[in-house]
This record gives sequence, structure tokens and C-alpha cells, in this order.
Amino acid sequence: MLAKYVARRFFASVVVVLGVTLITLVLMSSTRGSYVPGIDLNPALRPEDIARLRAGLGLDEPFYQWYGTWLWAVLHGDFGRSMIDGSPVIAHILERLPNTLELTATAIVIGVLISVPVGIIGALRRGSKVDHSLTVVSVAGFAVPQFWMGLMLILIFSVTLEQHGLPWLPSSGAFSAFNGGDLLDRIAHLILPATVLSFFYLSVWSRFIRSSMLEVLSQDYIRTARAKGMSERRVVYLHGLRNALIPLVTLIGLELPGLVSGGLVVEVVFGWPGIGKLAFERALQYDYSTVLGVTFFATLLVIAGNLLADLLYGVLDPRIRYG
Amino acid sequence: MTQALLEVQDLHTVFDTKEGTVKAVDGVSYELYPGETLGIVGESGCGKSVSALSIMRLQRPGRIVSGKVMFKGQDLTKLTEAEMREIRGKEIAMIFQDPMTSLNPVYDVGWQVGEPTRLHNGWDAKKALASAISMLGRVGIPAAASRAEDYPHQFSGGMRQRVMIAMGLTTTPQVLIADEPTTALDVTIQAQILDLLRHVNREFGTATILITHNLGVVAGMCQRVLVMYAGRVVESGPTADVFAHPKHPYTWSLLRSIPRLDAEKHEPLWPIEGIPPSLVDLPAGCSFHPRCAFRIDRCTRDEPALLQVGETQLAACWVTQAGGELKGA
Amino acid sequence: MPSAGIETGAARPAQSYWNESWERLRANRIGMAAGILIVVLAAIAIAAPLFSALLTHYLPEAINLDETFAKPGLKHLLGSDEIGRDTLTRLIFGARVSLGVAFLTVLLSTTVGTTVGMLAGYYGGWLDDILMRFVDMVLSIPAIFLFILMSILFRPNPVTLAMIVASVGWGAVARLVRGEVLSVKERDFILATRSIGASDARMMLRHLLPNVLPVLIVAASLGVGQIILVEAALDFLGLGIQPPTPSWGNMLTNSQSYFFRSGFLVGFPGIAIFITVLASNLFGNAVRDAFDPRLKSH
Repeated sequence: MLAKYVARRFFASVVVVLGVTLITLVLMSSTRGSYVPGIDLNPALRPEDIARLRAGLGLDEPFYQWYGTWLWAVLHGDFGRSMIDGSPVIAHILERLPNTLELTATAIVIGVLISVPVGIIGALRRGSKVDHSLTVVSVAGFAVPQFWMGLMLILIFSVTLEQHGLPWLPSSGAFSAFNGGDLLDRIAHLILPATVLSFFYLSVWSRFIRSSMLEVLSQDYIRTARAKGMSERRVVYLHGLRNALIPLVTLIGLELPGLVSGGLVVEVVFGWPGIGKLAFERALQYDYSTVLGVTFFATLLVIAGNLLADLLYGVLDPRIRYG
Repeated sequence: MTQALLEVQDLHTVFDTKEGTVKAVDGVSYELYPGETLGIVGESGCGKSVSALSIMRLQRPGRIVSGKVMFKGQDLTKLTEAEMREIRGKEIAMIFQDPMTSLNPVYDVGWQVGEPTRLHNGWDAKKALASAISMLGRVGIPAAASRAEDYPHQFSGGMRQRVMIAMGLTTTPQVLIADEPTTALDVTIQAQILDLLRHVNREFGTATILITHNLGVVAGMCQRVLVMYAGRVVESGPTADVFAHPKHPYTWSLLRSIPRLDAEKHEPLWPIEGIPPSLVDLPAGCSFHPRCAFRIDRCTRDEPALLQVGETQLAACWVTQAGGELKGA
Repeated sequence: MPSAGIETGAARPAQSYWNESWERLRANRIGMAAGILIVVLAAIAIAAPLFSALLTHYLPEAINLDETFAKPGLKHLLGSDEIGRDTLTRLIFGARVSLGVAFLTVLLSTTVGTTVGMLAGYYGGWLDDILMRFVDMVLSIPAIFLFILMSILFRPNPVTLAMIVASVGWGAVARLVRGEVLSVKERDFILATRSIGASDARMMLRHLLPNVLPVLIVAASLGVGQIILVEAALDFLGLGIQPPTPSWGNMLTNSQSYFFRSGFLVGFPGIAIFITVLASNLFGNAVRDAFDPRLKSH
């Protein structure tokens, strides 16, 4: 039963991946006719060199041939080469990916750890001052621009503290270049960016858990559980929470695209060496092929993330498996 | 005269709403004797469910403002929540109208049916499951051992209601409250479930309160019946007597409004005129008087008490208490 | 039989769904305040030259190297930036970009998304499969990567920027509309209308669309805020609206280099964004509550 469900979802994902490759390459094909900026500015390059480079990058082939070559390469793990220096995109990606994952995983964990209790408190103490203040904070958090929050936190916790001679938090990089690299140093660098990244999700998820809990607690089976003489604690946590968390898994799954990409702005603001910052830096240099390779890679992660969430959902909610 | 098992005394339960205080249960009293099946009948919104929920102290967001519920020498309205939990699911069990939404969708049936015994009897998972499977079999679920691993959505409506009944009986409670157990089921399944309830009542000796708006169900199942209207009991007595000669105009109108197989082809149906009153703003005097075919002047001023009328029945009606007869108008 | 029974309980005059919803919205004070604020901001954006002439007498691009990093005061109400341009003036003109692009984007994505969702939901079958697979694909690509890619491929001015952002936004709208259409399609009045010979176009435009409208309006109201945030981020990265055209996002692009000189310069544009998005969210929530009070969680 579960196996059939898994197979179905996997097949659907593959179709989506193929479609995405087509979309992104159609987009890229708009650059193939033009010259390649950056390379063009190098006075040492003669027209023949430029032509050779273009041929090497396959920019003059008919579209289907280019697509085929590209697809074949991707299947072998070759995500293209940089237009700036010819270095393999996949190498850059793999070098930076752990940093991005470190940042986004931390943000998700912080998000879940804080939003679940906050949401439960809001639901159980609905209408109280605590609930109202939490709601206000959530609503506000939803409206704060991420990059601005990052800038403000840097202003407060790095710049101002340093100006007043107090211990301050580092504002860029994943670890200090000189005598850093140990766990404490890495954590110090992680705090500000992870906080900013998790903030938006905190606001969304805590409200969501709250309303999910409220809805679950008004269901008939909760009344049945109480009628069976269960303590309120058991009713809320054993019978209620399990049901309330199911939609959260979907939400987290849906937010995975947001986390992989939403991290980009935070990475740029904090100088965090992840794939988001990679894409940004290369974009400024018009290195189309790197940006394309990174985009496609990120998309694959998104699709995989959705698939994972679907599977988790199938495990948690028996109605999906057998339905 | 045997001792009453459960005695509700002048119970008042209200709900606070924006429009005012809703008097859902407005002075209800009745007794339940061991082994009997008592029917509580009335329209939607008359307070029958709320009075039952009040017994279990599950009436939230409503409040019990006054009255007593005596059970085994204790007043249930005065017990602490912890003490109430000892009673719920163990001594007094309740099953609800819609078995699909009343069962938790993420746990299998065996686990849910076994939960009361794990909780109240302290049994371990294995013992509880074994007992649950045996109970499932007794309520008529075939292949109970393998079906215990299934989830609620994999059962049909009638089967789910059997599961609910099994769940209510695992701790062999003294009282079973069934709140509209067949309303959400279609007619043939209804009959099966009622059979099951009758069987259960005989075999386990559980006293049952059967709440329904369907007079036919009451006729087939209950030795005694209570008729409720606008939060009050308007008539009570042995079913046969109440149905044969009702002593309250509401009961009388209800019985008249049921289409009969032996009626003449062109005989008109007699609906009850008017609409049920708002529970925030009850009429003065007898709450039924605006719709009553027999009302007299006194009915618009004074609220009648539930008193003996005839040999076996109680009715809250000035007219019948004074000896008047209810005949076709 | 006695005369007709007395009716208890007041009867309220029947109102259309739209009127009722409008009444509910009007009763929501916070929501209405937020909505009015948005209207005011839009007015400021549209009449930016007028407001800046009234309030500040500066041009947004006017450079004055003698008055850099001025603190908020009489000369510059909210201070000035690193090359002496007046902050308040730039904020006022920046509203044009933020609000303009956001509204245009919402317009585009709503139009395209509704069309696709309506067709997919109405016709079903293979058309639905294809269209929704396509939506899946578009929604799988992380939006910001796509935006970066597109903004280096196509040089962004406010209109093309709106198109770029809308190219992802329409997908969510399409899914939403399709869902609504699927549920409305099953109702009996649709069957009845079809049985009197209504054409497909008529069905979609005159019967399905009005029922889908509430959900659309809610999505659009809430969407404006989100798009303002996205657009500001793109501007901040330097990939959206380019200086010297002021936008709230690009006013912050180089802020890290002058943290030490002026905290106000970092604060004000962000506050402007925050207030606008907050108002949009509050208004969107109010609209949603007005259309379907059952959804309220409190």
C-alpha cells in the first residue's frame, strides 16, 4: 500500500523535473544569440577565441541538440561550466551546499521548536492576553522584510555593541578567518542569520499550529476522548496534537522551496558562503550558466523536498495511504 | 421500589452568548433505574443532548448553574474534574451521533477501543487489545482480530457505530448514554444498531439513556420515555401509556403529526403550528402555549410544574392537571 | 385550531452575500484602518511630485554633497543619505515603485492565474492534467533564483519587473481558482444552468467567476504585501529597479557601508516597507474574515 503510494508520487516528480528542465532551457535560449558579457570585456580575446568559447559552451547548436547535451550532462552530474572561468558549476555547488543546509536546517529546527509550543499556548489560552500578544507578534513578523531585519540585527548586535565596547556577534561569514573554526565560533556566526531566517517561518507556523489545534480540539473525537475519562493533557497531546501536526508537515514541505531560496537574501546580507550567495555573485557577473546550473539544482532539491513531505504525510495520516 | 441508579434533580445548564443567556436545560428532573432503557425525545435544540452532556460534565462551553446529578450517592455536579474522570468512560459511558467524526482518524480501532481499559483498569496494551477484539466480536464485527488493526475510515457507518458501542462497553459501565446513535445511519442499519443496543442492555444489564427525536425508535426500545420541550421536561411515563394517551399537548401534537400507514388516503397531516421558541427569550408561562391547541388563559401567565396526571404519567400542563382531556380539535 | 402561531425571534431582512460581506468588513475597525492607509499610500504614490513639493521641496535625485548623512531635522525631515539626497522625498517617490509594481504584478498574476485555473477546473480531463503539471513545474523552481536569472536576462524596468514576479505568482492563483471551480462546479445550480443550454463561456464568466471572486479578492489583498517584500528584496540586491530611481529596497543596497554614519538611513526605508506590508496583510485578513466568518480562529 505504502509502496504503491511512494511509486506514484515519485513518478509524478520525475515528470515535473523534466518539465522544469524544459522551462529553464527555454529561458536560457534567449541568451544564446547574443554575445557573452564579461568575456567580451577581456581585450586579450580575439573574435576567434570568443567563437571557440561559444562553441565550447554549445551556444550555437540547434536548441534540441543543446537541450539533449545538457540533459545528458546533468544526468551524469555535470551541471555546466561557468562562463567566467570555465570551472564546473557542480564543484561550486557542492562546496557551498553544506553551508546553506547548515543555515536552513538550523532555521527550520528553531522554527519548529519555537512555533509548536507557541501555537499550542495560543490555542489553549485562546483569547487571553498572552494569546493576543503572540498574535500581534506573529502578524508583525509576517510583514518584516527579511533583508532589513538582517541589517537591523547587524546594526544592533554587531555594530552598536562593538561601538560601545561590548562583546558583539559576528556579522559575516560562517566562521572567523583568523583563529576561528571551532564549534563556538561557528555557532556565534550562525546565530544572527539563522534567527532572521527562522523568524518569518516562526510567525507563519505558530499561527498555523494555533488554528490547527483549535480546529482539532473542536472535533467530535476530542469530545469522545473526554467522555472516556481522559485527562486534559492526554486529550490535547495524544489525541489532539497528532492530528494538528499533520497539516504542519505539509506546510513545512511547502515551505522547503522558500527555505532553499529564501536563504539567499540572508546569505547575501550576512556574507554566508552558501549556494544563494553563489548565485547572486555570479549573477552580478552575468555568468548565466552558473546561475542556471544552481537554479536547476535548487529546483531538484525542492522537488525532492516535496516528495519527502508527501511520504511523511503518508506515514502520519493513514487515510492518505489507503485512500 | 428499587433505588434509582441516576437521579437528575432540577438541573439548569446555560450558555452565555452575545444575544443573551441561552437556557438550554431549564429545570430538568428525572430518574434512571438499573437495567432499564429510558428514552428522551424532543425536537432539535430542546436540550436533550445538553442535559446528557451535563451528567457527564461535558457541557462546556455551557455552565451548570444549579441542580444536582446524584449517582451512587455522589452529586456529580460537585465532583472535581479528576473525580469526574474516574466516572467517565468507566461507570457512565457515552456514545455519540456521528461515528465518523467521533472516532480519531489517526489511531486504529483496536487501540481506541482498548483505551478505556488501559486507562481505567490499568491493563497493559496486550490485555486491552485482546479484550477490545473480544468486545468487537460481541458487537457483531466479523473477523474482529484483523479488523482491529484497521482505521475508522475503513469501516462503514453502521460498523463504526458498533465500534463506538464496543468502546463504550469495555469497562462494563453501569450507565450507557446513547445520544442519537442512529440518526446518522440509514434505515436498515438503524434497525441493526437498535437490535444491538437491546441485546447489550439485556446481556450486560447496563441502564441506557436513549436520546432521539424519532418516536418510532422510542416505541421499540424504551420502557419509559421523557418528552422535552424548550429545555424542560413536559411529560414522562411508561412508553406504552404516554403513546396511548399523552397528557401534554406537545406530545399529543407530535404523535398526531406522524404519518400513519393506516390513515385514510386524503387525511391531512397535522404539523405543529409555529416554530420552537428562542431559548434566550422564552415565552411567559408555559413555553409551549403559543403553539398549543388547548391553551387557556392561565397558560400565558404561569409556568406549570411537572406533576402526576393519570396513574403512571407526569405532565406539565394546566389543562390536563385540572382533569382536561386532549382530543382532536 | 387557534390562529397562526406567534413567531418569536426577530427576522432580519435578507441581504445579498456581497452586501453582508461588506457590512462585516466595515465593522472590522482594524481592517478598515489598514485599508484606508493603503489608499492613502497609493494616493501619495500617484501624486508623489505634489506631496514632495508640499512637504519637502526637494527632488528625489537632487544631490547635495554639503548635507550628507544629515540627522532628521528641520532641513531634512527624515535626514539625508550618503550623497545628500533627502530621505523623505525619496521615500515618497519610492512608494511609486513599491506600490506600482505590486499592484501591476497582482493584476497580471490574477488575470493569468484565473484564466488557467478556470479552464483547468471547468474542462478537467487532460487539459487539467497538463495545465496543473505546468503549474507544478513553475512552482517547483525556487522563485528568487528564477527572478535573479530573469533579471539578468531581461533588463528590469517597473513593467518587466512586474512581469517577472508575476511569472511565478500566477501559479498559486491558478491552483486556488481551480480548487474553487471544482467545488462550485458540483453544485446543483450549475447543472441546472447547463441544462437550459448555456454555453461554456457563459458558464465560466457569468456563473463560476462570481463565485470564485471572493477567494480571489482575498488572495489578491494578501498577495500585495508579499509581492512588496519580494520586490524590495530584489531592489536591495541590485537586481530590480536601479538607482537613481528611488525604491524602498534600493535605498538599502549599500547601507552596510554606512552603518557607522547613520542608523536612520537603515531604519526608515525598512519601516516604510513594514508599515505598508502590515497594512496590506491586516486588510487582507479583514477581507477574508468578511467573506467567510466561519474561518475566523478567534
